[in-house]
Parts: sequence; structure tokens; C-alpha cells
Amino acid sequence: MLKGIRRLISRVHKVDPGCFLHTGTQAPQSIAAHLDNQVPLESHRAISRTNESDPVKTFGEACLMVRKPALELLHYLKNTNFAYPAVRYLVYGEKGTGKTLSLCHVIHFCAKQDWLILHIPDGKNFLSFLQPAKDSKLIKVQEKYVWNKRESTEKGSPLGEVVEQGITRVKNATDAVGIVLKELKRQSSLGIFRLLVAVDGVNALWGRTTLKREDKSLIAPEELALIHNLRKMVKNDWHGGAIVLTLSQTGSVFKPRRAYLPQELLGKEGFDALDPFIPMLVSNYTPKEFESCLQYYLENNWLQHEKAHTEDGKKELLFLSNANPWQLERLCAYL
Amino acid sequence: MAASAVKGVRGWSSLPLVARRAVLRLPGVTQVRWSRYGPEYRDPKIDKEYYHKPVAELTEEEKYDQELKKTQLIKAAPAMKTSSVFEDPVISKFTNMMMKGGNKVLARSLMTQTLEAVKRKQFEKYHAASAEEQATIERNPYTIFHQALKNCEPVIGLVPILKGGHFYQVPVPLADRRRRFLAMKWMITECRENKHRRTLMPEKLSHELLEAFHNQGPVVKKKQDMHKMAEANRALAHYRWW
Repeated sequence: MLKGIRRLISRVHKVDPGCFLHTGTQAPQSIAAHLDNQVPLESHRAISRTNESDPVKTFGEACLMVRKPALELLHYLKNTNFAYPAVRYLVYGEKGTGKTLSLCHVIHFCAKQDWLILHIPDGKNFLSFLQPAKDSKLIKVQEKYVWNKRESTEKGSPLGEVVEQGITRVKNATDAVGIVLKELKRQSSLGIFRLLVAVDGVNALWGRTTLKREDKSLIAPEELALIHNLRKMVKNDWHGGAIVLTLSQTGSVFKPRRAYLPQELLGKEGFDALDPFIPMLVSNYTPKEFESCLQYYLENNWLQHEKAHTEDGKKELLFLSNANPWQLERLCAYL
Repeated sequence: MAASAVKGVRGWSSLPLVARRAVLRLPGVTQVRWSRYGPEYRDPKIDKEYYHKPVAELTEEEKYDQELKKTQLIKAAPAMKTSSVFEDPVISKFTNMMMKGGNKVLARSLMTQTLEAVKRKQFEKYHAASAEEQATIERNPYTIFHQALKNCEPVIGLVPILKGGHFYQVPVPLADRRRRFLAMKWMITECRENKHRRTLMPEKLSHELLEAFHNQGPVVKKKQDMHKMAEANRALAHYRWW
């Protein structure tokens, strides 16, 4: 993961601003149609999602549907006052309604606006990537960090060095991540850049883990350094940016399948840590959204079955999927 | 008394036993599969269009049919037959043949994943191809499936016939349903047996279907072998008496 960050920072001068360079985990299948205007994300590839297929291979493009929750979030982000502490937005909803993709939409928007983005695609796996702005070389470390007797990072050296250190010395990798995060928080408060912390599946930070020590006793999440650092990021004691979080039931263990409300998935501890936040509910498609999704599929010839073009076919799809985006996608995959 | 009680339990009408057997009697053939329904039960008709027709549009026969239904007994519709517009009897039959141990959920998911895999492969090819080739690439997984199975159906088959103490493989014309069955059976056996331990069924099946669609691949080869064997055993065709 640190290698990813280093690659990003070293390649930054070749990259257009607002372009993603995630070194792929899983690729998404984005569903799309445009209500108002299309939001093409040609370079948007590796956001982990429930599905593993690549829309660029099938359609030649990757599109997002512009939906109400995302629009609301963008409106709030446009009117943020950067002097106040970072506002937390929590996107929640039932399974398969489009929380991750709303997050992606927001990230895309912020990337176009030249924010520095810390995106953690999967709360369970903590694969975090940094999307730097054009001038990321200017992010300087502001303290001296001593790694061991022989190595230390001086004050004023660029952040890339800390990342290098973390990659080469695996033992200090988690500390390196912690330092990177701390520096980012501190410096965004100074107003050098605007930071967007986007975490998908944030309930994993407060849940129970399934990891065990050698003597088979369970590890509590607080003891993991990465989780500790991420929790510090999500606390709103810094300003100059925003925090957008998503809940996800699919990766969580020990939680009932039907749970989707913040209180249920975060637990008491998580809820108190994240309180206060602005909740955004993402629900199933409205009839108009459903229609436009089907139109997109029909335009791209994704729905090959002859009966899918008919009124009866559409009614049946609506009934079978209950306007749930994920279910609709699975149905249309084989039709 | 006991016999009539049995008849009542089974839902048979008061037709005598002898008349029922006479309907199905063939020389040298005993019935293997019994149905709980008697011969007077009619098959259900599952067709939304038929029932949505207003009364005025019905022809004479259909009106007679409707009247008859009020007194006739009808069998229950099978659970897997729906009035869905997306239903395909060939696909259902294939799914049932793939099913093991009654695990229809798994068989159906494998089938849908196969169709999806076929579709994705064809879309990839489509995007990689030039404009002229794009017109020839078929992207509908259902047409590919049907055409592939049609390409795998043998025209003539071999039947072991006992003559003079020896079994001879005699070439014999096959019924439609026997041909469809053989095509599906060969396809499924091929995909189960000749694959790497770690390849999944949808991947292998989609690959075989695409090959069969283009008249290549092991299943079409098996059909051609069958034809060659039948051609080789032409002389034995006289052993067939039907």
C-alpha cells in the first residue's frame, strides 16, 4: 500500500489534475445513466465493490448515475466553510442502493476541484491510496522523526521520504502511515491544501475483528495501529476539508444481514466517536431513475434478450429487482 | 373394497383399471414412471396472453375449451414453470440436467453466470473488432446457447441390437427429443470432465458454448465422430426393424 503512495507521488508530474491512479484492487461495475448530465470517469477503475467486472471492458466507458444524495453532498461540499472543523457526512442505506458509488462521485468532484483525497476503498482491508494534487511535492514533513539509531527523517523533507522509509523498513510501515496521516491533517489545517477523507465501510473501524493472536485470543480493533490512525483521521479536530464516510454491511462480521442504520452498524462506541455527523440516506431507484438506468443499458445493448425491450419485460424487471440497483445489475447481467 | 379405496385415494375416476392400462400398452414395454394423475387430467396452460384475451376475441374452439374447463380436471402446474417473459424451456431443461442432488439454486446460478460470461466475452470481442466485423459478432447469449446446442445435435445415432448372440451398433434415426438430450448431455459431461481442477463451470461452459457456436470444439467433434461411426456401420442398417 505504501508502494502505491510512492508511485503516485513520484508520478505526479505526469498526471493531469483530477485523475485517479489507484493501483487496482478490484474493478467496479458502475451502473449509469444520466439524469441531467453524464459524468464520465474514463480513468476511474479500482474502487472495490461487490462486483468484480470492469465496465471499461464491456462498455468502453465507465459512467455514474447522478442521483439526489450525491448532488446534496456536492452542494454541501461546495458551501463548506474551511475555517470550521471538518464536517462528517455519513452515507448509509440498505444493501446495494449505491452508497459506494455516491462516494465515488463525490471523490471525482473533489479531485476535479484539486483537493487532496485520502480514499480508503475498503474499511476491512485498509488499502488506502493517496490522490495527490499537482503540488504534492510541497507537502513537507514538519518534525524530525527518528526511526532507529541510524535513520531519521529531517524536518522539512518531502512526504515521499517518509513513504520510502515505510516501504523499505517493513517494521516501521504502520508508523510511516501514521506519520503521513498526521502530517496531512496538520497541514490541511494550515490551509495549504484541502483534504477529503473518504472511507468506505467505516463501520469496520469499530467492529470486532476476526484476527487472533497466537494464543487464540481475539484482538480488539483499538490495538491495531492502522485502525487507531484511521480513527484519528476521522475525528473532526482539524479543519480545511471534509470527511465523507460510508457504512457497509457486506464486509462486517457479527452484524445481522438486515442492519443498515448507523446505530446498528457502528455500535455504541462508533456512533459516539462519529457523533455529530450529517446522515445521508441512499435508497432504491425512483421510477425515473429506474427508467433511465434501463435506457442506458438498452443504448449500450447490454440487455440482449428480445423481451427485455418490451413493456412487460420492464415491468418484470422492476418487480424482480424492487428498484434495487445491485439486484437490477445482477438481473441485467444475464438477460 | 380395498381396490376401490385405493382408486379413490389416488384420485382416479371410476374408470375401470383395464381401460386405463389399455391406453398405454405396447408389446414388450412396461411402464416405469407412474403419475399420480389419472388419464382424464389435462395439462395446465401457462400463458398470460391466452388468459388476457377479452371474451369477444375467442374463436369457437377456444370458447369450447373454456366451457370444458369448468368440468374437466386439470393437473397442478409444475413449480418451475412460470409465466415470466424471460423463461426459456431449453435453458430450464439444461439447468435441470446440470443440477446435482436437487440443488437447483446452485444450478441456476451457474447457468446465469455462464450466460453472463458468454455475454461479456462477446462484448470484449465486439469492442476489439473493426466496424465490418462488429456486424458479424453475435452478442445475445440466448441465441448463442440455442445455436451451439443445435450444432451439437447428432442427426443419426447408434443403437445396440442383439442378433445371433452379439450386440451390433446399428445406425438409427433419432427423435428430436433424443437429439436435444444427447447434445445437452455431451456438453455437460465435457465441461465436467475435461477441465482443469481450478477452472469454474461457468468459465468452461461459456468457452465450450462459444466454440460449439462456431462449429468447433470437442462436443461438435463428438457429434461428428458419432456420424462417422454410423457411416462406418452402414451395412448393419438392415438390423433395424422400425
